[in-house]
Amino acid sequence: MDNEAYYPLPQPTAFTTRFWEACQRQELEIPQCQSCNHLFLPGGPVCPNCWSQELDSCLASGRGKVANYVVYHRSYHRAIPAPYVVAIIELEEGVRMVSNVILCPPESISIGMPVQVVFEKAANAESDFLLPKFKPVGED
Amino acid sequence: MVRGLASMSDKPIIAGIGHSPFGKLTGRTALDLEVEAAIKALEDSGLRPQDVDGLVTDPGPAQGIVNGITPHYLALGQLLGLDPRYTGSEILGGAGSIAIIQRAVAAIEAGLCSVCLCVYGDAPLSSAGSFAYARGDEAAFGLFGAIGIHALAAQRHMHLWGTTAEQLAEVAMAARAHAAKNPNAYLQEPLTMDSYRQANYIVEPLKHPDCCLVSDGAAAVLVTAADYAVDLCKPAVSILGHGQAHSFGTWSSANHFDSLPAARCGPEVLHKAGLTLEDIDVVQLYDCFTIVVLMQLEAYGFCKPGEAGAFVEGGRIGPGGELPVNTSGGLLAEAYGGGMLHVIEAVRQLRNEADERQISNAETALISGHGLGMNTHTSLILGN
Repeated sequence: MDNEAYYPLPQPTAFTTRFWEACQRQELEIPQCQSCNHLFLPGGPVCPNCWSQELDSCLASGRGKVANYVVYHRSYHRAIPAPYVVAIIELEEGVRMVSNVILCPPESISIGMPVQVVFEKAANAESDFLLPKFKPVGED
Repeated sequence: MVRGLASMSDKPIIAGIGHSPFGKLTGRTALDLEVEAAIKALEDSGLRPQDVDGLVTDPGPAQGIVNGITPHYLALGQLLGLDPRYTGSEILGGAGSIAIIQRAVAAIEAGLCSVCLCVYGDAPLSSAGSFAYARGDEAAFGLFGAIGIHALAAQRHMHLWGTTAEQLAEVAMAARAHAAKNPNAYLQEPLTMDSYRQANYIVEPLKHPDCCLVSDGAAAVLVTAADYAVDLCKPAVSILGHGQAHSFGTWSSANHFDSLPAARCGPEVLHKAGLTLEDIDVVQLYDCFTIVVLMQLEAYGFCKPGEAGAFVEGGRIGPGGELPVNTSGGLLAEAYGGGMLHVIEAVRQLRNEADERQISNAETALISGHGLGMNTHTSLILGN
């Protein structure tokens, strides 16, 4: 484990740069196969459903629901203090992504809860890198 | 119990077992522990170092995954002074120990070697490695460690099937009760439901007693061609069947946390061995977290999907229960031994060497391996 004080920011690759750059514009661009329309994360060189190399992205609405979540009561990285919620969010387009649910107490979260993306600066990071996180619908 | 149709007259056998101490072994390295385990496995068999012509290895998570894949078989083989005919390492996480036994069996059947050492070892407590790694960009969201993945699986099981914390506790309590009968086990004191309820969450819904131990240690199994059976110190143990099934979905794959690939290889391996679940006497299920035992009871068909929580109530998988699981205490209470200590306990049961925890008339054993964030699974069936 890299237990430095620096935030463990994403390390964009040739296949994930487009997703992370869109996040910096506060947009969710999900890799999509042009042959079978499959949406998938993270991005890769081929569609993991049909192996087509004809890939594009789909602009997601940012709305979704909590498909699964856990509450970290122990910190595994100095820059990410506990408690915090790690969640699998199912976007309304159907694809799932790992993220955090923020701006609400962990006890208020449940599977199926509607959420909305919110782009948040990585805490304690030396850059202004934005991460796509989720908040309950209706919270500001 | 009925013996399998595939009676193993000409199939590879387990000829010897051995392991180092397990625990926090300051000053020891994984390789030094592996040498000790290898020597003990060879002594247990009665064969000589010059008989060994195969070496396959399973470097544990701290050695193999976090620090990068060095040729582990080479490092160990040099220390043992081997010039084998066949070698290699497997990186399948907790499924790796059975995977190297499978590889030995396949190599022997293909005529590539005839006496193959299968060695697991790791020293996460006394070396720089760690189990609490993140995979890729999920670190940015704090998804660290195998525990995060398994907490997600537990949460889904609770959501889909109404599984309760008390049912997870039953798995941990059974492990401790088994361990109390195993002098090698690290956690011998009993766990009560009250102490489970009072335990702290690590990653909710998993609490401290839901998590396996982290241990330095090594364990080895010697697999040989069948004709070595006559040379052995102890009765040969037959390898009746083995298989793998994997699910390489990412955390973004729908339903990745809802089931295990074990559901695919379990029935196949039983069929290959000519056995049904009713024929199995010894059940050794990989138990990195309590939830995985429940999911495997369902995947192998000991109960229906969603029913494992109720199935384990009332001490059913504990000592003297209807289906004792992990009689050595397993990863939860004996030690973290990759998956090799599960195999070694099965061999001891089949040789009638398990003393106070001996299952009477044990003739068959089912052992599982599970690894890498629910991506890999291996199954092994042994007989005497």
